[in-house]
Amino acid sequence: MKSSRMKSMVLIGGAVTLAVFLMTCSTVQEQMGTITGGKVTTSDVQTAAKITKAVRNSFADITEEEEYYIGRAVSAMILSRYPVYKDEALTQYVNYVGNATVIHSDRPETYAGYHFLILDTEEVNAMAAPGGFIFITKGLLKRCRNEEMLGCILAHEVGHVRAKHGLQSIKKSRLIDAFTIIGQEAAERYGPEKLVKLTDIFEEVLGDIAGTLIERGYDRKYEYEADKLSVHIASQTGYDVNGLLDFLETMVDDTSTESGKGWFKTHPSAKDRIGRVEKEISSLATVPSEKTERTDRFQNAMKALN
Amino acid sequence: MNMSSRLKGILIGVVILFVAVLLAETLIVKVQTTSVRKEPKFYSPVLATLKAGETVTQISSQAGWFRVRTSQGVEGWIHSCAVQTKSFTLAAMDKSFKTQATAEEVALAGKGFNKQVEEEYKSRNKELSFAEVDRMLLIIVQPEELRKFLENGRLGEFGGPR
Repeated sequence: MKSSRMKSMVLIGGAVTLAVFLMTCSTVQEQMGTITGGKVTTSDVQTAAKITKAVRNSFADITEEEEYYIGRAVSAMILSRYPVYKDEALTQYVNYVGNATVIHSDRPETYAGYHFLILDTEEVNAMAAPGGFIFITKGLLKRCRNEEMLGCILAHEVGHVRAKHGLQSIKKSRLIDAFTIIGQEAAERYGPEKLVKLTDIFEEVLGDIAGTLIERGYDRKYEYEADKLSVHIASQTGYDVNGLLDFLETMVDDTSTESGKGWFKTHPSAKDRIGRVEKEISSLATVPSEKTERTDRFQNAMKALN
Repeated sequence: MNMSSRLKGILIGVVILFVAVLLAETLIVKVQTTSVRKEPKFYSPVLATLKAGETVTQISSQAGWFRVRTSQGVEGWIHSCAVQTKSFTLAAMDKSFKTQATAEEVALAGKGFNKQVEEEYKSRNKELSFAEVDRMLLIIVQPEELRKFLENGRLGEFGGPR
């Protein structure tokens, strides 16, 4: 009796599992067929459009590749405003420090990876375009006294990429419009009319991001979040996170550029941030300390700037 | 072994097989290229390189990394943020399934804001420095260089216990 009950339970279990598996597969087949496979009928396109409209509706639904193309264009805008500081050794050093923090973040890979570039300006600023294009100005580099400070600043920018703050500054209505057009178009390439419309929206999207990144700065809450991420990423990397405080301290007493461009225009006041960062640091079990090996190589690399 | 217990054994086997099929996740690469590495570390030797859209089978997972098998039979580690789960697991039955499938479709088809849109945008904004962006993308830190940098600076795992 016991054995036959068990047998029937096993049979039912197997049947249910099989049914669920087959159902799921056929649904997937159906969904995938609409765009990726075979002939696409008008009704397929309409279905796809409906699904897209219903489900791709926020910055979180932007694909890695789309984020990359948005990041490229935002970077092209930044690089049209600022010349590149062309010192290969220093650029390489900044990329080592940056990538050391990247691999200790929880978004260490993006569509085309993280890349760091120095901008040849005395303005004090750092910017992160979506997808991992990170810029630091010569003026900001000069403020750093050691690798710990630089590591914390770059970790802050990596934090912006990780949390997709750039993409979050896109007006939602633009995304909905873009997603609708993208969902309707099943052909491999966009037709001229759709391409014009989609590029119009692309330009508006870039305007939203550039306006935030270069002109107005992120919402305070995003800066605080990036500081928080910086504390965790930099400490995971092994940097003394007091480097972030040291940097912010240099900004408090500085009035020379307060009303100027760059950092002061696009970041909340350093005093506000210091209190929050201190609190975050106190939550860490241990704080790594500055190491002479790092400070030495930092000073060596920075000789190029003097 | 009598008939009934043999049958039971077969049935249990079948159920285990189905459950295993359902649990074996297929992962799709969502970044341009990524590496399958010998160990779950970014500076570990690269065993295979995968491109966007390629799939691998997940074997196990560990702190942000998946142990995977490629279609060529190479086994190694891939970072979880470079892949997304292909949507034919049980989880796919709920509402979130459609989101995944659609984002997947767009990604697989290379739709959305893509190269074609960039070309059109470039033609409208000829003053923009895309050439500088392309140069920026050429700045690459090799895994071995990064390992040395971490080691020399006593960073990451070379920093000792914290």
